[in-house]
This record gives sequence, structure tokens and C-alpha cells, in this order.
Amino acid sequence: MRDRWTDFTLRAPGSRFAGHALLAFVIWILLARLNMIIDAQMSYYLALAAMYATAMFGMTILVGLSGQVSLGNGALMAVGGYVFALTSMHWKTVPILGLPWNAVWSMVFAGLGGIIIGLIIGALGARLRGPYLAGLTLGVAVGIPSIINRYPSLLGGEQGLKLIVPYPEGGYPEQVLSEDAQFDDSALDEFLVDESAVVQAPLEEAAPAEGDLLTLEDAQQGVAQEDLLTLEDAQQGVAQEDLLTLEDAQQGVQDMPTDAPISEATPELATDPSDAFTTASDFVLQQWQASVAIAVACIVGFLALNLVRGRQGRVWQAVRDDPVAAAVIGISPSGGKISAFVVSSMFAALSGAVFAQILTLAAPSAFGLGLSLSLLVGVVLGGRLSLIGAVIGALLIVWLPEWVDSLSAELGMPRQVADNAPNLLYGLLVVAVVLVAPRGIMGGVSGLMSKMRRSSAPPSSG
Amino acid sequence: MGSFLDYFLGGIANGAVIALMALALVLVWRSTRVVNFAQVGQAMFTSFIALTAVNITGSWLIGLIVGIIAGGILGFIVHVLVMRPVRRADASGAIIATFGVLIALQSLAAMIWTAEPRAYPTPIEYAGLTIFGRVVPLTGYDVFVFIVMIVLVLFLTILLTKTKLGLSMRASAFNPEVARLSGVRVSRMLAIGWIIAGMVGAVAGVLIAPISSLSPNTFDIFLVFAFTAAVIGGLDSLVGAVAFGIGTGLILSLVTGYSDASNAPIVALILLALNLWFKPDGAFSHHKARSV
Repeated sequence: MRDRWTDFTLRAPGSRFAGHALLAFVIWILLARLNMIIDAQMSYYLALAAMYATAMFGMTILVGLSGQVSLGNGALMAVGGYVFALTSMHWKTVPILGLPWNAVWSMVFAGLGGIIIGLIIGALGARLRGPYLAGLTLGVAVGIPSIINRYPSLLGGEQGLKLIVPYPEGGYPEQVLSEDAQFDDSALDEFLVDESAVVQAPLEEAAPAEGDLLTLEDAQQGVAQEDLLTLEDAQQGVAQEDLLTLEDAQQGVQDMPTDAPISEATPELATDPSDAFTTASDFVLQQWQASVAIAVACIVGFLALNLVRGRQGRVWQAVRDDPVAAAVIGISPSGGKISAFVVSSMFAALSGAVFAQILTLAAPSAFGLGLSLSLLVGVVLGGRLSLIGAVIGALLIVWLPEWVDSLSAELGMPRQVADNAPNLLYGLLVVAVVLVAPRGIMGGVSGLMSKMRRSSAPPSSG
Repeated sequence: MGSFLDYFLGGIANGAVIALMALALVLVWRSTRVVNFAQVGQAMFTSFIALTAVNITGSWLIGLIVGIIAGGILGFIVHVLVMRPVRRADASGAIIATFGVLIALQSLAAMIWTAEPRAYPTPIEYAGLTIFGRVVPLTGYDVFVFIVMIVLVLFLTILLTKTKLGLSMRASAFNPEVARLSGVRVSRMLAIGWIIAGMVGAVAGVLIAPISSLSPNTFDIFLVFAFTAAVIGGLDSLVGAVAFGIGTGLILSLVTGYSDASNAPIVALILLALNLWFKPDGAFSHHKARSV
């Protein structure tokens, strides 16, 4: 149907796999390097973008390739976030295997949790047509805070579980249940009320970390990050209600040393906290979070590339386009739908685990309907059928609010308008994309490119 | 701890508003085969307009009328600008577009009226009635809501089954091609379906607002409840939507009464999942799902 699929099947077996591995590796190296040269604020955005991209790879497979519109992926991210938080808080060793625990195991178990939940929802959803599935997953998205609040002693209720990001040196120093820690929930309240502010929410969550940097003027001398972390009081004390304006935060962040001479920001480091990591003190928290997010996004992107461009990708499309015909040639339609759900759910859970590390918190309000909607928005805007579209969608979700914010500051728009302008824009853009360019930005780009190719190349080669 | 009867009575108003919202979903589904996930967004938006009218005039009734008119207009706008052009696109596109409308309406409402929850006045005192010398959890407002719902359902039933307009609408929904050949202006009928659904949704919104308070997001949960009711009722059936809307409201009230309010969404989700597991196309659906 689409010749770019067949292009790949003609090559030698394994070359595609190697090509994807190389591509993912190169992108990872470039992003890791980029993470070292940008300031902490940008690293934070990079971390968010990588986290969103991870989840959106799953959305591309689920919504785009297999044609199942799901609003449950935010809830599936919650599964990943909570599994990560719980396992990293309570486990000293890995069950059954008996190996010493580290953050990678938490990621693995987060992914497993995603697979299990994906199997359940996918099995239920495989029988359903479009609107029924959308409605069911909407119920999951709306119901997830209630489910989390159902077990306050285990999951921390509204306040969530406060998480200390695993650091290269020493791993988890201490775990604090935020129920007893007086986590200032004013930001969270604001968050709950303004659930529609899809993207601005994570920013508010991150405010303490930035404020933290601000208060520590002498952090310029490269104060060890562990010290920053132990300043819990500062973190909680810094007013969350009067959110620092972005300019202030950025200024404060720029005061931080940015030329961190990290030579080996390999995923082994991200994955093995016990590894001796002597230069940790030069590492800004946001950079650490970004390097984890990038590593996960690249691994997930690599998996997604292989699935999408391989046989499985064609299976998903066949089931989407004509389940009867797919069944005739021996493809199980429900199997195809369920496998799409499982894969996308695993990706969502991994992304959720990264999100929890970025927020240093797993709380129901972070994984609400707004998050699911923003995933849908991103994947639709970027292009439902393309993994690059997912990346573009992730970038849009992260940077469009910033862009609107600076624009509205220039125009002197009132706060109330400026805060909601990004979401209004998202809503209108989604409608516009569905009406005008159903394949999103990437669809438009690839359409343009094929038009150019057709006009420049002789017809025989096309 | 109240009695079973108390919880039962307390669920009536909730059930009635869920039924009304489910009715709006069914009306749109019947006319255009789209589940309008933006319906609660439309209802929320028109409720804000109605509240503005109430604040200006001081009259609840004028608020309701303004809300209904705004609901009809908004339904028409959404249909003409978004859903009519999108119908030829893929099936996912229509669903995604309704969510786009929902996001846009919610953020627009937050822009205009802020995201803070507001109280909405009631026409009748919101206090428990005294029956046989005992105060019951049934308020005068609950009774009022229930009566409004009954009147609306009767009106809609007569409109759809006894009038020429209703016949044309049903014909357009049932078989657009044949209806068009018979001289029915199908596209107009679809638009009328959206307008009526918008009006019903607006009534539901104005009636929900005093119960749940009014903010851009407080109606979200009612979308899930109404969708549950509409789906269990078969999405096609007005009677089904009303019956299961009230049923859902009563069940949720009992759940809230005997356990905790936070369990209501979970129970609704379980109801929906169970129903979809056994009847992937709704309980009373007339059409057999194509299965492979």
C-alpha cells in the first residue's frame, strides 16, 4: 500500500535492525551531548520532550497504526510512575532474582506493569469499535485518580508519593512518603482546579526545583547536587503559590555552571547508580533527569522503529484497514489490536516512570485526563502515522506553551488568558489537523516531499 | 448511615441529569453516528453563559432560556464547522475532533470565566423535604430536576415519533440515501439533531451546575457517567438512555452512600467494562456488530 514499507523488505535480513540501532545510537549520542551544553532549564524541557516522545511512540502505534483512539495512556503512565515509585521505595533487592536493587529494575518492572494493564484493557478493547473504546478509555482516564485515592496508605492519596531521583552516587539516600512530609499542596490544588491546563501543570511541579536553585546563590561554585537535594526545607519552603516568573527562574538557572565536563553520560550510568561516578557534583538535577529520559526515549524509539517498519507494523495496519481481509490471510484481528495495546501500554508505563522522576513525584493529579488529552493532541498534531510525527508532537507539547507564554508576556495578555491560550490553540489545531491534514505535520511534510520527488525524478524511478 | 431508601431517593436527581446528558449523546449518535465527547464541554460552556445571564437579570428561568438558546447555537456551530466537514475522514478523525472541541471549549471557558468553581443558583430551595414528619435526603430541587427530565423526554418522544420533522430525522438517521431520495433534506436534519442535542445538553448542564458546582472541568465525570448510561442503553435508544441514566445515578448514589464518593467513577467504569465485555455494541442495540 505504501511503498516505504516494501523498500525495507528487500534488504538483507538484519541490516534494517542494525540500521535502526545505529540511528537510535547516533540520536542518543547527539541528545546526550546536547544535554551537556544547554542550561538546566533547557535540560528540563529536553527531559519533558523525551518523556512525551516515549509515550507518543506508543500513541502512534495505538492510535495511528492500529486505529484505536485511546485516552487511557495517561492512566497507563500512572501505572509506570507508581510502579517505579513503589519499587524504588520498598525494594532493597529484586524479588526472586535476589539481585541488589537499582533504578533499572524499577524501570523494568514499570514496563512489566504496563504490559499487564495493557493486556487487560487491550483484551477488553479489542472487541470494541472506535467510540466505545474511546469512551471506555476515557473512563479509565477520569477514574484513575479515584482508583489511586482508593489506597491512600499504599499510594499516598492526593499528595502522591514523593520520589527522590536515583542519583549516580549512593542511589536513593532516603525515601519519604509525602503524607508525613509536608509537601506544600497549594500548587497541587491549583493543578487540580485547572486540570485543563494540560502542559503547564508539570511546570508548576518543577517550580520548587528551580526555586531551589534560585535561593542558593552560592550554588555557583558548583555545590554538590546531593547538597541541593538534602535541602528539603528549601524545596518546600520556596513559595510554590507565587510561582516565579519564568524569566526569574531562567536567570537563576543560568547562574548555575553549565559547562559540566561530563565525559561519559552513558546509559550504563543512568541505569547503574552503584557505578562510581565521581563527577556527579557537576551534574545538575535536570541534566540527570534529561539523560535518563533521553536514554529511555532512544531505547523505546528503537523498539518502535523495528516494530513499525517490520511485519508487526503491517499487521497493525491490515487490522485497522480491513479486519475481515486480515483474518482471511491468517492475521488475528483481535491479536493485532491487543498487541498494539500492549506495546503502547508498555511505552506509556516507561514514560510514566520517567515522568515520575522528572516531577520527583507520583501523584494522581499529574496523570489525569489532561495528560491523556495532551498525548492525543501531540500525536495528532505531529502526525498519527509517523514516529517522527510523535517526536514533533512531543516538542510541540513542551515548547508551544513556552512560546505562547513569551508571546503573551510581550502582548501584555492577562494571566488568565495566557495560561489557557496553549490549550485553546491545541484544541483548535487538533480540529484543524483532522479537517485539513489528517496525517498531521509529518503527513504534510512527507506529502510535500513526495510531490517534490515526483516533479524532480523521472517517473520510472518513483 | 442512612437507609437504603434515603440513598435511593438521593440518586434520583443525579440519575435525571445523567439521563439528560445521555439523551444528548444518543440524539447526536442517532443523527450522525458520532459520539460527541464534546457534549459536556458544550453543556459547561452554555451553563457559564446561562450563569452570566442569571447574574445580570437575577432570574433563574431567563438563565435557563438563554442557556438553551446558546446550547442550540453552539450545537449548530460545532456541527457545521467541525463535524460535518470531518464526517468523510477516517473513523478515528471524528472521535479525535470531538476531543479537540472539548479541549478548546474548556480552555476558552477558563479564559473567559476563570477555572475557579462557581456556585450556580437553584430555582427551588436545595434542602431536604419533610415527608411523614421526617427529613429525607430528597430535596425539592431533586424533584424539580426529575420533573424537568420527564417533561423533556415526553416532548422529545412526541417530537421524534409524532411529527413530520421527527419522521424526517429518523429517516435521515436510519438510511440517509433513501431519505434523500424521498425528498428529505438530510443535511438539515442532521444539523437539527445537533441543535436539539445541544439544547438538551444545555438543560442538563444548567441542572447539573448547582449539584456539582460550575467550572471548566467539573462536568468531565458526568461525561463518563452519561456515556456509560448511553452505551448500556444501546446508544440508539432514548428510552434506554433515560432508563439507564436514572439507573446509573441510583447505583452511584448507593455506592456513594454505602462506601465512598470516590468509588463512584470506579463503579461506573466497572459497569461500562462489564457491559462492553458482554455486549460490545450496547445492551439494546438494534444493529448486530460486524465481528470477525
